[in-house]
Amino acid sequence: MVLAFALYPGVYALLADSGLSTEVVAVLPRIETLVVVLFFGLFAMSFDFISGYTGYLSFGHAAFYGTGAYVVALGANGKLPALGPETPFMLLLVLAGVAAAVLALAIGSVSFRLSGVYFAMITLGFSQVLYVFVRDWDFVSSAPRDGVAVTGTLEGFRIGVPGVDGLNVAIGQLTGDSIEGLFGFINLSPTEVSFYAIGAVVLVCYLAMQRLVHSPFGRTLIAIRENEERARAIGYNTYAYKLGAFVASGFFAGIAGALFVGFRRSVTPENGFYFLVAGDALLVSIIGGFGTLAGPLYGELFDASVREFLSKEGGGGGLLPYLRANVGDATLATELYNGLTVAEAIDTFLNGHAALYVGLLFVLFVLYVPNGLLGTARDRMDGTLAKAVPRRVRRWFDG
Amino acid sequence: MSAGVALASLASLAPAGPSIPLQFADALIEFLSPTTLVDVILRGIAEASLYVMIAAGLTLVFGLMGVLNFAHGSLTMLGAYLGGLVLVVAVAQSTGGVGRLLAFGVAVVVAFGALAALGGGIEVGLVRPIYDRPPLYQILLTFGVTLVLDELARIVVLFYGLQPTTVWQDVLGTKPVVLAESVGAAGVSVSGLELFQILFGVATVVGVHLFLTRTRYGLYVRAGGEDSEMLSALGVDVNRVFTVVFALGTGIAGAAGVLLAWDPSWGASVPLAAETLLPAFVVVIVGGLGTFRGTVVAALIVGLVDSSMTWWFQNFVDFTGLPEMVVFLVLVITLIVKPQGLYGVSEVGGH
Repeated sequence: MVLAFALYPGVYALLADSGLSTEVVAVLPRIETLVVVLFFGLFAMSFDFISGYTGYLSFGHAAFYGTGAYVVALGANGKLPALGPETPFMLLLVLAGVAAAVLALAIGSVSFRLSGVYFAMITLGFSQVLYVFVRDWDFVSSAPRDGVAVTGTLEGFRIGVPGVDGLNVAIGQLTGDSIEGLFGFINLSPTEVSFYAIGAVVLVCYLAMQRLVHSPFGRTLIAIRENEERARAIGYNTYAYKLGAFVASGFFAGIAGALFVGFRRSVTPENGFYFLVAGDALLVSIIGGFGTLAGPLYGELFDASVREFLSKEGGGGGLLPYLRANVGDATLATELYNGLTVAEAIDTFLNGHAALYVGLLFVLFVLYVPNGLLGTARDRMDGTLAKAVPRRVRRWFDG
Repeated sequence: MSAGVALASLASLAPAGPSIPLQFADALIEFLSPTTLVDVILRGIAEASLYVMIAAGLTLVFGLMGVLNFAHGSLTMLGAYLGGLVLVVAVAQSTGGVGRLLAFGVAVVVAFGALAALGGGIEVGLVRPIYDRPPLYQILLTFGVTLVLDELARIVVLFYGLQPTTVWQDVLGTKPVVLAESVGAAGVSVSGLELFQILFGVATVVGVHLFLTRTRYGLYVRAGGEDSEMLSALGVDVNRVFTVVFALGTGIAGAAGVLLAWDPSWGASVPLAAETLLPAFVVVIVGGLGTFRGTVVAALIVGLVDSSMTWWFQNFVDFTGLPEMVVFLVLVITLIVKPQGLYGVSEVGGH
């Protein structure tokens, strides 16, 4: 799967040049969208790490994402105490994670005295307090409602191994590095470089979370989800385990928020702290598979693809430009009903309204596929895909 | 921690005068003067009436079925648009005050009926199959319903050439002149709309209270809240009771929406869904999930806190988000100090 992500930009470029190019551009997401998939997927994974594994719905998870994002934005603008605007991004990244983890410790230590609906509500309350606070706090920028843009530095944020110049690349659509002639034949645009650099960070975070989930620590979390009273009766300090998981989850959510600002170079209260950001993470976690860790990434991939396909601008290809280019004007101008043409109907009911279809699908998933894409696939295959697929293939060959 | 940071910076946000404590004392004395206080309290009760209307349906549904309905805000929003549509169609320039109030009555009935039907449909079609799953899944399901309803509303509103994110101004124009004017007595002035809201809120509270205590269905609801299995063992068709209560809850949400459509500080718009959902949650949780008495008390508390914080923000603290932030702080602090809410029973809601 990692390989598939790594090869995607190349395949996309190849297909976009081929004979099917219009179809490919219309259906497949752009690389830029995939970068979003990576960092938001990481946020959704961190959400799944706490909610999917312990069963505690952290509805205020956006607080940690927003904290990570604001730490980087403020740090780069030189507004954090003791840190100048030239603080390296890798340091800010870790700081963002730590700040979010500290916040998670504070919120979690009071919230985990509650459970069920009340836990969801108190985390929601905390995140909304922070949302309103950040929205109206004029320290962050002169117009806090419009969010913060990185203005302290014009250079791209650099991701890489600290101290080794050759192993650092700048990310961002306009500010990123482009690489030419790697191994003699690979040329990468700034967006593609960002894709790989952010992908590397996300991969490291995923592997770390995956290690945690498969450790005895992760097993205990599942025990808490299945039957917390029994877990406590066996002698586990469930409060400490839940709090530990919450802090780890907050850390990775902070990293995701930091990557978000690293790539986009701006953040608003609405796309950082607002509770619907956590709602989006919830949505993609359910579609991808709750309690599967990797599932939310696929859920986000699916969600982002649908949104781009039905996007209003048609910037990365999508349905309407494709139809305009390939279907005759006469068809598009056909009246369906009372002066409503086909083009207008598509414009009215499809474009920019991906949320409707994703929402419908989400409801269907909750009703009929509660385990999500990856969860169901694992149930069918009887084990994780990495182990089950080779087993199947081997059985196939053995006859 | 977050609260501490917030308060610390609030202090720093206060206007930098010669001495802050002195200014604070001045403001406090002004705040406690009878006219200001009465003003703030009346405004608070008017807001509490709105909150109790938004939250009543939510608490009924939660009390009986244990479903926290995330789609409640969207249903309120739909009610605002439907009621607004009736008002815009029925009210002409020449319509007098009484005619407009009558049209409002029709709008409330239409919104109540349509939303009750929709709510009943949602309960039968979507929520009923998953009662036996963990409460998480009911939250997820209704959250999905919210997404769909909001987007549908956005499509329809755009189709008719309105902006979904801004308030539908035509509806505000149908308000009778009486409600826009202020009534003044002994230095205290209160707008007609606020009195109207208080009247409406009190009527709702009395209505729901009578429903719960004086009718057969109300008896079922109270009994079902304690033990729905026992209720069905006694020969009551619990499924039908669930459907009726869900429909009633969403119907009240619709009626509340119509009332909000006349209030210039809310108004009919698609974001109204999230704007009403969050305060409704605060009220229901602070009061204690599933107790109607708690909801009424909590609505009063939240309304009064909101209106007094609005006064403080306008007169002393230079921080726009103060009322909203303090309302959420009320939620957080209540949950820390009294996890079941004011009147909650500890078994409800997965404690």
